[in-house]
Amino acid sequence: MSEINFYYLEKPTLSNLNRIFESAEIPFIRLSKFLSKEDSNLKTKLHHDEKIGFYKRKIGNAHLGDFWESKDFLRFLKNSTGFNLKFRSSQGQSYGPGDYSLLHSEEFEKKRLVVVYDFTSSWNFEWGGHDIYTSPDKDPLICKRGPGTLMLTLLDEGDYSCTRYVSLKSESAVKIDKVVFDLK
Amino acid sequence: MRKTNSIPSVESFPFPHIVVEDFLDEDTLDLAIDALAGLEYSFSESDLFSYWASVELTDIDHPALNVLRNDLGDKSWRNEVAKAFQVSKLSKIDMAAYVYGLGDFLLPHDDQVEDRVIAYSLHLTPDLEDNDGGSLDLFEAGQEGKSNLVKKIIPKFNSLNMFEVSTTSWHQVSEILTDIQRLTLTGWYHV
Repeated sequence: MSEINFYYLEKPTLSNLNRIFESAEIPFIRLSKFLSKEDSNLKTKLHHDEKIGFYKRKIGNAHLGDFWESKDFLRFLKNSTGFNLKFRSSQGQSYGPGDYSLLHSEEFEKKRLVVVYDFTSSWNFEWGGHDIYTSPDKDPLICKRGPGTLMLTLLDEGDYSCTRYVSLKSESAVKIDKVVFDLK
Repeated sequence: MRKTNSIPSVESFPFPHIVVEDFLDEDTLDLAIDALAGLEYSFSESDLFSYWASVELTDIDHPALNVLRNDLGDKSWRNEVAKAFQVSKLSKIDMAAYVYGLGDFLLPHDDQVEDRVIAYSLHLTPDLEDNDGGSLDLFEAGQEGKSNLVKKIIPKFNSLNMFEVSTTSWHQVSEILTDIQRLTLTGWYHV
């Protein structure tokens, strides 16, 4: 099982994360080197997933498997965000050259916490593939790729997220786990 | 002035579309390119697109733009377009110029907005080739929304592309892959 970097489990860090999370316009935290031990299955078989005008990508089981439902991770989420959360879904996703998702891809959803863990390596921002979060009347949030980085974003009803079109010139593919938690 | 007043037969698959080649005479073409080159373009991007767009040109009073608006949207040409696509009377057009540079794109969408009947694009970049990108790609939406690229139209200089807007008119402008500028005058014929 994967293990969370001890630094992110210490009280002062968690209290600081909680403050940062609450102060952002779209509540958000980005944590590099989140895991001290990454027990991932990057050979997980992903399959083509497409709805024209909505998304084109590959999806499959989450690369980190049951870790996303583990007590350790749920405790970390509660302490860093201040919310009681209930696991909804997890998915491994990959965006190669020409892949995309658009901002209406999730349709209308209730308030939720979106967790993205990034396995993407050797990425160039010009290739696109970054995550975008939007909320009415707020500046969009753009999250660059970074291997080993965990991103937590609280989305309200009417907020959307997408993964930017990946250039045909990209020499690699975006590889992430995307996990959604409902607020209890 | 238009070089032609007739439209060849419309191709029906994957949705009704047509390419009218050699649309403007040389003098008009020179005037049009000069006028469009003199416009200001703003960079626009979203999750769906990335390009440079001019202001809306529909109501701008400028000698070359007035000629273009007339060539693309006068009554006799609108009637010809309506007849070719077998749609009811077309009342007006709108137009704007777009420049796609390196890395720009427009992802698959169907163009459906109220009152739009026929989409058009007049291509004004010479010598565009397949490896430059910037093709107009037409898709058939298969089962469960999977796309099937049916036709790739590499825009020819001075050609007018048109297609009927509908729930099936899925199309995209493919990513520009070289250091070119793909210039078009684009808009819609309305009900």
